[in-house]
Amino acid sequence: MLTGTATYVDDIKMPNMLYAAMVRSPHAAANIRSVDISKAAAHPGVMAVYTGVDIKDVGAIVCGVELPGMRKPHHTVIATDRVYLVGHIVAVVVAKDRYVAADAADLVEVDYDVLDAVGGPEQALAEGAPAVHPQWADNIAFKFEQKGGDTDAAFASADVICKQRMISQRMVANPMETRGCVASWHAADRALTIYTSTQIPHLARTILAGMLGLDENRLRLIAPEVGGGFGCKLNVYPEEAIVSFAAMKLGVPVKWIETRRENFLSTIQGRGHVDYWEIAAKRDGTIVGVKVKIIQDLGAYFQLLTPAIPTLSVLMMPGLYNARNIHAEIVGVFTNCVPTDAVRGAGRPEATYGIERMVDVLAAELKMDPAEIRFKNFVAADQFPFATATGLNYDSGDYANTFTKALDTIGYKKLREEQATARKQGRLVGIGISTYGEICAMGPSPAVAAGGWESATVKVEPSGKVTILTGISPHGQGEETTFAQIAGDELGVPIDDVLVLHGDTSIVQYGIGTFGSRGTAVGGTAVYLALQDIKEKVIRWGSMLLDSNDVRFEGGMCIDNASGKSVSIQTIAAAAYRAMKIPTHSEPGLVATRFWEPGNFTYPFGAHIIHSEIDPKTGQVEIKRYVMVDDIGNILNPMIVDGQLHGGASWGLGQALWEHAIYDDAGQLVTGEFMDYAMARARMMPWIESSHTCTPSPVNPLGVKGVGEAGTIGSTPAMVNSVVDALAPLGVTHVDMPLTPEKLWRIISASQPEAN
Amino acid sequence: MIPNTFEYTAPLTLKVALALIGEGGKPLAGGMSLIPMMKLRMAAPEHLVDIGRIAELNYIREAGGELHIGANATHYDVESSPLIVGKCPLLAETAGHIGDIQVRNRGTLGGSVAHADPSADYPAALQALEAKIVLTSATSQRTVAVGDFFIDTFTTSLEPGELVTEVIVPVEAGLTGTSYQKFLQPASGFAIVGVAARIRREAGKITVARIGVTGVSGNSYRALKAEAALVGKAGSDAEIDAAAALVGEGVEAGADLHASAEYRLHLAANYAERAIRVALSRTA
Amino acid sequence: MKIAGVAQLAFAPERAYELMQDPAVLSRAIPGCEALERTGDNEYRMKMKMMLASFSGAFEGKVRLVDPQPPTSFRMVVEGSGKIGFMKGDGVLTLTAKDGGTEVSYEGDAQIGGTMAAVGQRLIDTTARMMIKRFFEKLAAEV
Ligand SMILES: Cc1cc2nc3c(=O)[nH]c(=O)nc-3n(C[C@H](O)[C@H](O)[C@H](O)COP(=O)(O)OP(=O)(O)OC[C@H]3O[C@@H](n4cnc5c(N)ncnc54)[C@H](O)[C@@H]3O)c2cc1C
Repeated sequence: MLTGTATYVDDIKMPNMLYAAMVRSPHAAANIRSVDISKAAAHPGVMAVYTGVDIKDVGAIVCGVELPGMRKPHHTVIATDRVYLVGHIVAVVVAKDRYVAADAADLVEVDYDVLDAVGGPEQALAEGAPAVHPQWADNIAFKFEQKGGDTDAAFASADVICKQRMISQRMVANPMETRGCVASWHAADRALTIYTSTQIPHLARTILAGMLGLDENRLRLIAPEVGGGFGCKLNVYPEEAIVSFAAMKLGVPVKWIETRRENFLSTIQGRGHVDYWEIAAKRDGTIVGVKVKIIQDLGAYFQLLTPAIPTLSVLMMPGLYNARNIHAEIVGVFTNCVPTDAVRGAGRPEATYGIERMVDVLAAELKMDPAEIRFKNFVAADQFPFATATGLNYDSGDYANTFTKALDTIGYKKLREEQATARKQGRLVGIGISTYGEICAMGPSPAVAAGGWESATVKVEPSGKVTILTGISPHGQGEETTFAQIAGDELGVPIDDVLVLHGDTSIVQYGIGTFGSRGTAVGGTAVYLALQDIKEKVIRWGSMLLDSNDVRFEGGMCIDNASGKSVSIQTIAAAAYRAMKIPTHSEPGLVATRFWEPGNFTYPFGAHIIHSEIDPKTGQVEIKRYVMVDDIGNILNPMIVDGQLHGGASWGLGQALWEHAIYDDAGQLVTGEFMDYAMARARMMPWIESSHTCTPSPVNPLGVKGVGEAGTIGSTPAMVNSVVDALAPLGVTHVDMPLTPEKLWRIISASQPEAN
Repeated sequence: MIPNTFEYTAPLTLKVALALIGEGGKPLAGGMSLIPMMKLRMAAPEHLVDIGRIAELNYIREAGGELHIGANATHYDVESSPLIVGKCPLLAETAGHIGDIQVRNRGTLGGSVAHADPSADYPAALQALEAKIVLTSATSQRTVAVGDFFIDTFTTSLEPGELVTEVIVPVEAGLTGTSYQKFLQPASGFAIVGVAARIRREAGKITVARIGVTGVSGNSYRALKAEAALVGKAGSDAEIDAAAALVGEGVEAGADLHASAEYRLHLAANYAERAIRVALSRTA
Repeated sequence: MKIAGVAQLAFAPERAYELMQDPAVLSRAIPGCEALERTGDNEYRMKMKMMLASFSGAFEGKVRLVDPQPPTSFRMVVEGSGKIGFMKGDGVLTLTAKDGGTEVSYEGDAQIGGTMAAVGQRLIDTTARMMIKRFFEKLAAEV
């Protein structure tokens, strides 16, 4: 429901606040001959114009990932001598209002010596390709290899080997709220306050303090209400440092709000894979080995996690299958495009898409039913915890059970019969299956760039109201509700008595943030543990007040087991703060803080099945039914969970059918706004029949797994498999995304000219 | 996404508006095409004359066997007006295909016509309806046939200082069936191809066929050959297919990211077939 | 983007060729051309204003005529940039006598960048066609 009462960054107004506008390169690659700011600086209402030279003391953009032998570009927040992508900032104008700033930005004159650019990863690797970074002769940023088992032997022993090249195209994250920040400098305290639309308030504070040369504790970073992030706000961007720099120089608050155009140009994007998959199997369908070579479009420089994303794909490549022999190679390449980084699913959708497509390709080759081949290869329920060939340890699961439920829901057998009849009539009807796995609850600290634990403080106030400070940073996921539920359940207080605070580094103890489907599984667990500490103390105080050694805490009351006398948590809280008398081994107040380090990731899974039909005359795909059964462990709030799953599914369908960030050979993003970038809309969504199975996670006491990205990961392969299945009678074994009507129409008309 | 500076006037009478536009003011109607361009700085008019508050341009009435629709009628007005729905259903149906409800609540018939987007929906219907466009300036008024009004991509016969003030469409007799069929571009919602068919069948024979096409090329047009192929026929499947196959003939189709020229022409035939078929099914 | 097409002119190739090398004629024929100033051999600086319905944009750039093969062919390179983006067109025009007049066939590449490229994709093709059409219409009217 929209009430217009939330405070987003753009709602923040401060006295004397100025506005910044970025001057951006229209070229993907160019040397800067000169930047003439004189006209802009003289424009009425302009307070300052800064170029790369002025801001050279601000540190470069931080990437938190190191891979062996990796080339790491030094990306300054404003370009000095060369631009590497369209949208690269070459100057910033600070003016009395947004309009003046934009007008003056138009007056900055930059003389570019335009160079040849690289618009895509394969172009980057081509013979004679221009070097994105002139200091390196080729565009390879790194190569990465991972092996498990013995693929050579496995492939040699196989009866069949199927190969397929597949593309996971670039996508724009497109949160409803674009990025933006307001910085204000308090000279007396040498302290800076930044409001910014981020998923990682504390990490952003640490990074920005480093870039700006400030003491971390004198930088207060506040993520107010954040209107979606989808991974793109799991980052620190040049603008946040530039705006801070300007505020410190000028001594007044400075605001910058990203326009939608800028968002398309300069906020990280997702995917950008060209993958070469190979799967080896026995004639009976047993998968013996999987290989993949990933060419990852990294973009022009690294944002926070850029090089790590394809390594997540490698971890996920066996999917839900008992594949013991794997071999993955990644070639990370520079292009003159905006960096790729974590976008909803981050690495796992690419891998799941690959393995789920390959299983279908294999089934087609062996003339096996795609459901049967999956059953044959699933990790069995009694194999958990299951160590994968990629080094993961799947926590719990019963894949066959969940898949069976999905098959039963859609009436698989009957649907196949109907399909056979339809095919006889020449209709293109498809049934697409995706049984996906997920790596969630990021994660154990050794596996996450800046640590993977999470923190929580629970404060029972003197009145008995409960305040939770969480280190995660919800931005639409609804943990304010879920965590209040947890506290309500544990402490026996009404949910309305619980307030969840987050996102302000001066209020909340250090935390890691919200990404990698970790909010409830890691952040919620920290809350849960802090609540246990509170309960322990409540019992101690309750015992004292009831004068009993035998009390229990239940429904918000401490109850003397012998007499049945009770005292409420509210009374206990008041007593704990009043402190007329203090129990032995206790102290006043009712506050607990916990930092929780997870022992493992969690591994949700599920089965998505899509029944579709293609109009042979136009190539238009119609989704007839969409069944999804997801197992995300225990469910705390069904409505929130389904909201996440449905949102994720629409995201994944968007990738399968419509969305594509297309760069031309010169590095121009030609789908640079919503008139050409086909984001999934409500009117395009099918009805989703959604249900669950429940295999609690043993990794955390809540038994939850994580749900933010699952729908995205499961949906895409189901859609593509459905369309390829529909086209199977025409001999089609693969179609690259997005499955646009024209692409399908061309395939159909090439194979059955009489239909047109 | 921050427009240049501009002056803004919102006159309440047509007379004042025409005077301001005569002095070089740029008309602003629903703003659904103009404002986005201004925000991208692809358009930078110095003086906006908001015609949206001029009551004189806001009417839908019947006179002399025709419907007269003031330029300020929003797409939603056109879609929902009982008069248009009852007497010129093709126009109402077409309006219902435009954009989304927010766009239909603000965008206007006059604005859409004046803008002449090559993928806009109205032009197909207006071609099929042989509509007339009334153009008014401070000193003159003229009525132009739709075929003469749309000249090319974003180009009409509007002269500087003129406003589109009215669109005139015929009241349909009972024997006429109409249909608008659209293949939409998923990002913008605009037509990749839109075909409007208006067919009269008397005593089992097609006596009038009008087919308007949008989206295929730089300009909307009437598919005269397809129309001719239908006249005198009963409207069998084979006859419909044969006629529909002619809608793209001789047309230089456009191409963009969303559809090649070849695909557009293919869709044009396919959507013409649908439009003709539905229109025929609606002939009483 | 590839651009190709043919246009008919009612006069002989020699005349057509001559007209297309004449800056005064070009400045009248190029849609939106406001000034065409000679800067060197077969090189001109151009100021252009494009006005299309609600769009408008000012461009500054240059026009170069290269590889002259009178009266059969030449190459035309147009570059322009303005606040809404930049464009670059490079194409060969071939003139052949046909039916007492001239058939001009053109083939080349156009590249567009900046805001125009990102937001105008669905309009570039039809707009380019229209501008070329207008150019030849104006040229035809020169005699
Ligand atoms: C998201 C979105 C989706 C859309 N989808 C579609 C679609 O599917 N199909 C479709 O057809 N259209 C679509 N449109 C365009 C929409 O229909 C516009 O309303 C229409 O093109 C312009 O009408 P307007 O009243 O908004 O005009 P404005 O934007 O105010 O003006 C457009 C132009 O016409 C001029 N003008 C306006 N009124 C007059 C007049 N009376 N006389 C002379 N000149 C005038 C203005 O000066 C300006 O140059 C879409 C728009 C958006 C934003």
